[in-house]
Amino acid sequence: MATEPNSNARKPFAMSRRQFLRYTAVGGSAAAFLAACAAPGVTPSTGAEAGAGEAAAPAAEGGGGTMVWMGHQEVAALSPDDTGPSVQYVLIANIHNPLVWSNEFNELEPMLAESYEVSDDGLTYTFKLRQGVKFHDGTELTAKDVKYTYDYYRNPDNAAVRIGDFGGIGSVETPDDYTVVVNMDEVNAASLVNWAGFGIVQSDYHAEVGEDTYKTAPIGTGAFKLKEWRAAEFTELEAFDDHFRGRPAIDIIRQDVVPEPSVRMIALQTGDADSSVWPLLVEDSLALKEDPNFTVFSTPGNSIKHFPLNNTLPQLSDKRVRQAMMYALDRQRIIDDLWSGAAQVANSNFPPTSFYARDDLKKYEFDPEKAKALLDEAGWIEGGDGVREKDGEKLTFTITTITGDQARRPIAELAQQMFAEVGIDVQLAEAPVASILEGMRNGTMDASLFNWTYTTNAVEPDPFSTLHSKGGNNFAQYSNPRMDELIEMGTQIVDPEERKKIYDEVQEIFVEDVPVLYLQFDEWLNPFSNRIQGLPVDPKTADEYYLRANEWTLAE
Amino acid sequence: MARYLTVRLFHGAIVIFLISILTFAIMRMMPGDPVYLLFGEGQVRISEEQMDAIREQWGLNEPLYIQYLVWAKNMLRGDFGDSLVRRGVPVRTMIFEAIPVTATLNVFALGLALLIAIPLGIAAGIRRNSPLDYATSVGSALGIATPNFWLGLMLIVIFSLYLGLVPPFGLRSWKGYILPVIVLATEQMAVLARVMRASTVEVMTEDYVRTANAKGLPRRTVILRHAVRNSLLPIITVIGFRIAFLLSGTIVVETVFAIPGIGRLFTDSVFRLDYQVVQSLVVLLAVLVVASNIVTDLVYAMVDPRIRIE
Repeated sequence: MATEPNSNARKPFAMSRRQFLRYTAVGGSAAAFLAACAAPGVTPSTGAEAGAGEAAAPAAEGGGGTMVWMGHQEVAALSPDDTGPSVQYVLIANIHNPLVWSNEFNELEPMLAESYEVSDDGLTYTFKLRQGVKFHDGTELTAKDVKYTYDYYRNPDNAAVRIGDFGGIGSVETPDDYTVVVNMDEVNAASLVNWAGFGIVQSDYHAEVGEDTYKTAPIGTGAFKLKEWRAAEFTELEAFDDHFRGRPAIDIIRQDVVPEPSVRMIALQTGDADSSVWPLLVEDSLALKEDPNFTVFSTPGNSIKHFPLNNTLPQLSDKRVRQAMMYALDRQRIIDDLWSGAAQVANSNFPPTSFYARDDLKKYEFDPEKAKALLDEAGWIEGGDGVREKDGEKLTFTITTITGDQARRPIAELAQQMFAEVGIDVQLAEAPVASILEGMRNGTMDASLFNWTYTTNAVEPDPFSTLHSKGGNNFAQYSNPRMDELIEMGTQIVDPEERKKIYDEVQEIFVEDVPVLYLQFDEWLNPFSNRIQGLPVDPKTADEYYLRANEWTLAE
Repeated sequence: MARYLTVRLFHGAIVIFLISILTFAIMRMMPGDPVYLLFGEGQVRISEEQMDAIREQWGLNEPLYIQYLVWAKNMLRGDFGDSLVRRGVPVRTMIFEAIPVTATLNVFALGLALLIAIPLGIAAGIRRNSPLDYATSVGSALGIATPNFWLGLMLIVIFSLYLGLVPPFGLRSWKGYILPVIVLATEQMAVLARVMRASTVEVMTEDYVRTANAKGLPRRTVILRHAVRNSLLPIITVIGFRIAFLLSGTIVVETVFAIPGIGRLFTDSVFRLDYQVVQSLVVLLAVLVVASNIVTDLVYAMVDPRIRIE
């Protein structure tokens, strides 16, 4: 995924974007579901639901036209298992529909499920499917397709990337053609956004051709079907006539692969493209915000831009040293000078949009004097060359940024100066993404710089994989028995209000221990040409608005 | 001749074999794990065992020498294996989709470069120290020094954004070829013009040119029949080199103009550790270089009677 020297290099990390939105949906209302269980989302079967009102109408007019989106990297695969990268998600999710969709306003919207019920104990989910939903090959969607999809992707033998989303499922049953019952082995509050948000595949077809071929020629129920796929050049979708919500007004969606961000900007200005799924340079996005010909959606991210630090290094193992580094960083200046202000300072491991985020935590205001005092206290005394030392060991470490990551490397350079002010020596190096992922994971690298989440996402707070000592992505090699204990307790509790107490303490420990140097939550900016009509107003979550394409029309 | 060819081909085969081993080793020595990359972007909850299941499926758990042998055997049969990133797509398809794109661009660019550089180089070589000669020298120095990246973006800004004459990216219509071809040709033109000028200057001092002049042939005949034919020889060498560049030299242009060519496929694949693609591409490139070297030598022999192949 790292690729054209510059922009590619950032891909892998920056993408966590999408996750955020999908989950913000359930937000604080996770309680609402589980408690109010039977909260059914009933939709009129006419095929035109509230928000989709206009969708059916334009179909008659047949407004047509081609809408062009741009991504920054190739669209490598098109199965519902490949939704990781944003540029793939927006296409895959237009080709497939899930049972329930967590939409751009973080609200759950029934899609293939007409209604759903969750049992009081949170262990049984019952979905009533819409009738008469057609796949692109003309066959009708039934419960067996849903069962097949869930059973296939949660089966470890099939090595699916999103297998983790299906955690806790015991069995999937189909009492009749339009009813799906999912039995859970354990409660999982994020289930509805996780697996219920997973696109349903045509089961006979998928079983026949296999996942690998399916990735190149998917058949879903979505408003658009795959027309032509040239991974490195463009992907073209065309309107599906028999879509259950009515045929989209726009005939064709084409997503071009344009690696260079300034070229994407120019293409928007010349009218050669209508939107950029992968953001432009921040300053270009901000310029388009002022341009009356464009609408720019700005939504907060849930991944923290941060320096992961290897906590096991002798010079970084003392939390006072890590706290001192937080005080030494002028984080607002980094945002203002290097990020055009399009971000906000992070004060917790949870994104500000999260139900669990606290804003009364210890804040690390820029204070070099405090930093020096903490370092003195920890026994790191300034040596002759201005670098602090203790027991003959110098306070120095290396930050390895992603090769060619011109957007974020300046942050490391500025931080290097800020650390030097308080007597900490930072070396800078570059390495490809793959090396950094492995080096941080195995603890052979000191520190890096990228975007990552220290929660599961904006909805689901469980930070097991990054903050538990046994977590697979514990890049900090962080180990705190109390943190482990809290994390383990947190997943056992169903009631969000009760869970909140656990995660309140998790955040307290996080800001006190500073396992990583957390900087900022970036804003995610997607520009749209005003040629597109019917855009949602003020969406809360990135990427999901692209799934409204079936309601849009193009002005000529 | 036949014996010469056999020996050359045999040597070529050894070179390609060694390169295949080297590439394989370098790719596997690169730190990183393609499976980690797959999960690099979010909080996918997945256990080590589940990751291992993926590695198993991808054949990455086999001992390295087995992986090499399997790959080499398949390559010999023309099967390049499957991409790790673009699952379900044979590497062969990926490569053979990208080659024509890059090749077309380069052929046009080389054609344009030759068309301009040869007459210019000859003229500059004949009229040494004339304003034309200086202009050519300065022009080619600039051409070599201008970064493709910058030139490409500038051309897009001027001809696409301001003038609206060509699309800013892509090869959807013939107009899309114009800017990338110009950018690619600029550098080649600069190199070729310098080579041509130097070679012309040298040839013009040869005895046979002096003789031709002395026997009173018209200057036109001297230059076209005697000088130019000989001064073209080094150009053949340069073109031979360019053929290798067909595959590797256009990464920047492909990135700026969003062209799905071989250069981008290569760099993308290196960064995301798509082993099969990189290995196959390098071997293919090696075959191409070896072949173009042999062909260049044969062409030399045909063009220059002084060179004989034994």
